Amino acid sequence: MEVVEKRQDGICILGLLGRLDSNTSPEFEKKIFEVIDDGTRSVVVDFASLDYISSAGLRVLLKAAKELKRSEGKIVLCSMKDYIKEVFEIAGFVALFPITSSVGDAVKEF
Amino acid sequence: MIADRVSLELKNSLSELDTLEQSLQQFGEALGLANKTLFQICLAMEEIVSNIISYGYTDDAVHWIKIAISHEKGILTIRLEDDGIPFNPLWAQEPDCECPMEEREVGNLGIHLCKKVMDEMIYERFGNKNVLTLIKDLTINSRF
Repeated sequence: MEVVEKRQDGICILGLLGRLDSNTSPEFEKKIFEVIDDGTRSVVVDFASLDYISSAGLRVLLKAAKELKRSEGKIVLCSMKDYIKEVFEIAGFVALFPITSSVGDAVKEF
Repeated sequence: MIADRVSLELKNSLSELDTLEQSLQQFGEALGLANKTLFQICLAMEEIVSNIISYGYTDDAVHWIKIAISHEKGILTIRLEDDGIPFNPLWAQEPDCECPMEEREVGNLGIHLCKKVMDEMIYERFGNKNVLTLIKDLTINSRF
């Protein structure tokens, strides 16, 4: 799995490539917390190139969201394939995260 | 010739999840499964297998998880057998998927996801083995 970082208007956009599973989630956790520990308060996670997510990935997102909320930051998720979004629906995570269909719309949430 | 059956044995190491995924991809492609269906099967299996590996054993020994997958008349049957501690995932407490973020936990979320994407889950204990059977009806176009 690869994480590609972009910055736009003070927002950090993390693009995920590949799979977010038990093996690759620690890598994503390290990256997103590096960004948060750096002082970034506005994060977009772009799922356009993500093919797979399991509860391990959801755990990292929840942990990051809780941390950002504590520091009055915000995280927005975008561009999910339909079966990936269904995982968020089953897990009851759609109530926790703004989810948009594009990076452009995600950036407008801030 | 389309393979309608596959068996594999995985060691109790998270690195084996790659082997699992590759086997499932091959099997899924041979059956011509839709991306979403294959994704759901891989998800259910990763959740169960990673739980077995992470929580099923109290020693440092190598253990084997036996998996048999068969496909007949549109029904996919997955049988997982392990010799870990007795554990019935059907008894796992359902996670609260509606509480506010601050109270949200991910414990048992994997089992919850598996229950939702599979059509049936059957647990049996035989001697010192946990046997979990997952069934998915490929002929129905389910919402989840």
